Amino acid sequence: MTLDPALLARIQFAFTVSFHIIFPTVSIGLIAFLVVVEGLWLKTKNPLYLEIYRFWLNIFALAFGVGVVTGIVLSFEFGLAFAKFGQIAGPVIGPLIGWEVLSAFFLEAGFLGIVLFGMQRVGPKLHYFATCMVFVGTQLSATWILAANSWMQTPAGAVLEGGRFVVQRWVDVIVNPSWPVRLPHMLTAAYLTGAFIVAGTGAWYLLRGRHVDFARKTVSLGVGFATVLIAVQVFLGDIVYGTMIQHQPAKMQAAEGFWEEQSESPAPYYWIIVPDQADQKNRFTIGTPYLGSIWLTHSLDGRVQGLKNTPRDQQPFMAMAFYGFRVMYVTAILMFALCFASLWLRWKRRLFTTRWFLRALVLMTPSGVIATLGGWYLAETGRQPWVIYGVLRTADAISPVPAAVLLSSLLAFICVYGLFMTAFLIFALRIVRRGPGETAVPTVPGSPRPPAGLAAFGYTRETDPAATATP
Amino acid sequence: MNLPLFSALFAAFALTLYVLLDGFDLGVGTLLLAQRDARSRDLMVDAIAPTWDGNETWLVMAGIALFAGFPIAYGILLPAVYLPLIVMLLALAVRGVTFEFRVQSTNFKPAWDVAFGIASLVAALAQGTMAGTLILGVHVEAGQFAGSVLDALSPLALATGCALLAGYVMLGAGWLRVKESGELRTFAGRALHSSNLALLALLALVCVSAAAVQPEIRLRLADRWIGLSLLAILTLGSAAAAWRSVSGNSDLRPFAFAALQCALVAMGAWLVVYPDVVPFRLSLWDAASAQASHMFLLAGAAVFAPIIIAYSAFAYRVFRGKTSAEGYE
Repeated sequence: MTLDPALLARIQFAFTVSFHIIFPTVSIGLIAFLVVVEGLWLKTKNPLYLEIYRFWLNIFALAFGVGVVTGIVLSFEFGLAFAKFGQIAGPVIGPLIGWEVLSAFFLEAGFLGIVLFGMQRVGPKLHYFATCMVFVGTQLSATWILAANSWMQTPAGAVLEGGRFVVQRWVDVIVNPSWPVRLPHMLTAAYLTGAFIVAGTGAWYLLRGRHVDFARKTVSLGVGFATVLIAVQVFLGDIVYGTMIQHQPAKMQAAEGFWEEQSESPAPYYWIIVPDQADQKNRFTIGTPYLGSIWLTHSLDGRVQGLKNTPRDQQPFMAMAFYGFRVMYVTAILMFALCFASLWLRWKRRLFTTRWFLRALVLMTPSGVIATLGGWYLAETGRQPWVIYGVLRTADAISPVPAAVLLSSLLAFICVYGLFMTAFLIFALRIVRRGPGETAVPTVPGSPRPPAGLAAFGYTRETDPAATATP
Repeated sequence: MNLPLFSALFAAFALTLYVLLDGFDLGVGTLLLAQRDARSRDLMVDAIAPTWDGNETWLVMAGIALFAGFPIAYGILLPAVYLPLIVMLLALAVRGVTFEFRVQSTNFKPAWDVAFGIASLVAALAQGTMAGTLILGVHVEAGQFAGSVLDALSPLALATGCALLAGYVMLGAGWLRVKESGELRTFAGRALHSSNLALLALLALVCVSAAAVQPEIRLRLADRWIGLSLLAILTLGSAAAAWRSVSGNSDLRPFAFAALQCALVAMGAWLVVYPDVVPFRLSLWDAASAQASHMFLLAGAAVFAPIIIAYSAFAYRVFRGKTSAEGYE
C-alpha cells in the first residue's frame, strides 16, 4: 500500500487540532468560572471562594499550558503540511490570525504570569484585573479563530485573483454568514465544559464526604451555570443547524444519515447507521420512527433530504459527519436531562445528597469535551472535500512534502502529545485527589522551600488581609 | 505607500524581539543542564517563569506576519525547513508544558528539569538550523519548494544552529546575572564568557563558509560592505563590553551588551537578506499579499503593538528584582 500524502497531511492536522481544541475549550470554560469566583471573593470576602479560585487556577494553568504549546504548532501547520492553502488563503486567514495574536495571545500571556505568581506583588484588585484580562484574551482568541474557520465554511468578502485571495471588504470576511452563529455556540460549549468539570469534581468529593463546604459550593455553582447554559445552547445549536442547512446543505444531509434525495415518509430519526459511501446507501440502521419528520421538518410526515442531492464528487464522508453530530447531540441530551433533574433536586433540597445524581455528575465530568469534539468533527469533516467550502479542495491544498516525512512527523506528534495527555491527566487527577487547601509537598528533598508556581501562590487564609478583615 | 515593506519590517521586528526575549529563556533552559544543584535550578526557572509565554508569542507573531503579508514565501519556506521546524515545535511544546509539569511533579522533578534543558537546547539548535538553511538559499520552482526536506540538515546549517545556541546561552547567562545572586551569579558570569567566545568563533565560521558556498552572499557582501563591516565592528565592540562588564558591579550591563550584540548580528543577517523574503529567490514585493491584507495587519500592529509592549513591560516590572529562595510569594 502506498502512502497518500494528502491523507497523511489531513490525519496530521486532524490529530493535532483535535488534541489542541480540548485544552482551550477547558481553559475558556475554567477562566470564565475563575472570573466569577474571584469576583465573588472580592465582593463577599468569603475565604471559601478564594479556596475555590486557587484550586481551579491550578488546573486551569495546566490546561492553558498544553493549549498554548499545541496552538503554536497549528499556527505553523498551515504552511508545513498545507503550503498551497497557505499561499492561496494567507491574505485572508493570515491577517485574521494576526489580529488574534495581537489582541488575544499577548494579552493572555502578558497577564497570566501575574495571575499565577503575582497575588502578593500586586494585591487582590489588580490581580482580579489580570484574571479578567486573561479571560478577555481567551474570548478574543475564540472570536478571531472562529472568524477564520467560519470563513473557510462560508467564504465571503474576498475573490480569487491569480491564484490567491484578494480581500474586498474585511467586514464581510469577518462577519461571514456562519461566524455570528458559530462563535456563541462555541463559547457556550466551552462554558458548559468548564461547568461540568467543576460540578463533576465537586460531586466526587461529596460522594466521598471530603471538603464538603468546597464541594457543595462548586456543585451548586457548576450545575447552576450548566442549567442556564444548556438551555441557551439548545437554542443556539438550532440556529447553527438552520444556518448550515442553508449554506452547507451537504454537511447536514450527511449528518442526518439519509441517502435518497427525498427520504421515506414519515422519516425515522437514525441513532446508528452503517453507511456504504460507494453504493450510496445504508447497510444497517437503527432509528426511531416518526422522530425524523417531527424533529427535522416539524411535521408528522415530512421528508428529509439525503446526500444524493449533492454530486458525488462533492460529498463529505457520511460516517464521520453523522457520528460527530450524534456524539454531540446525544451528549447534549444527557446534559439537558441531568440539568433538568438538578432543578427538581435543588427545589427538594436534595442536590448534595442524591447519590445517583452525584454519580451521574462524576460520569459527565468530561462531557463538554466529548460534545465539543463531536461538534468539530461534524464541522470539519462535513465541509470535505473542500478546505475552503466550494472554492478550494483539500487535496489541492497540500505541501510538496513526501509521505514518509509526513508519516514520521505524525508519529512524533502522537508520541509527544501522548506523553502530554498522560502527564496532564496524572497531574490534574493528583491535584483533585490532594484536594483544595492542601499545599503540595516540597519537591526538592530536604528543602523547606515550597515549589515555585501555583503551589507557592502563598495566599493562605492566614496571610490574606482581606479574609482576616472579615468579622 | 509601500505597505509590503512595512509588513516585512514588522515581521523582522517581531522575529528579532523573539530572538532576544525567548533567546534568554531558552538559554536559561539550556543552562539547567550545566547546573547540578536542584535548588539553583528552581531559582533559574523562577527567573523566566512569569514572562516566558509573552516572549514566545513574538515567534507566533513573526510567523503569522509572514503568513498574512507574504503567503507565497510562507508556502515555500515552511516546507523547506519542515524537519527542523517540526523538531523546534515539539521541543518548544515540551519546554512550555514542563514549566507547569515540573512544579506538579514530586518524584521525577530532576527528570523534568533534564527534559526542560534538552528541549530548550534542541529548540535553539533547530531555530538556528532553519536560519542557516534559509540563508544558504532554498530550491524553488514555479512558486513551490522543489528541494529535498533533507537539505535543511547540511553541515553549515547545523553550524548556524550551534551559533544561535551559543548566542541564546549568552543571553540566558546575562539574564541570570540580572535575576540571581551569590553562586548562581558567578556561574552565570562564567557561562557568559565561554558562550560569547563560542558564539564569536561559530559566527566567523558560518560567515566565511556561507560566503564561500553561496555566490549570492558574496555579491551582497561586496555591495553592502560598508554597512556590514560597521555592524561587524559594533558587534565585536559589544562582545568586548559584555565580556568586561561581567567583572563590574552592574548586574544589568552584561545582559544589555549581550542583547545588543545579538541584535546587531540579527541586523547583519537582515542586511544580507534584504529585500528578499525567500533569500536570493523572491523579493518581498513578489511574494506579497494584496494591499488590503497588509492594511488590516498593519492597522492591528499599529494599535496593539504599543499596548502589548506597555503591559509586557508592566509584567517585567511586577517581577523585577532578584529571585528569592521563597519562590513567588
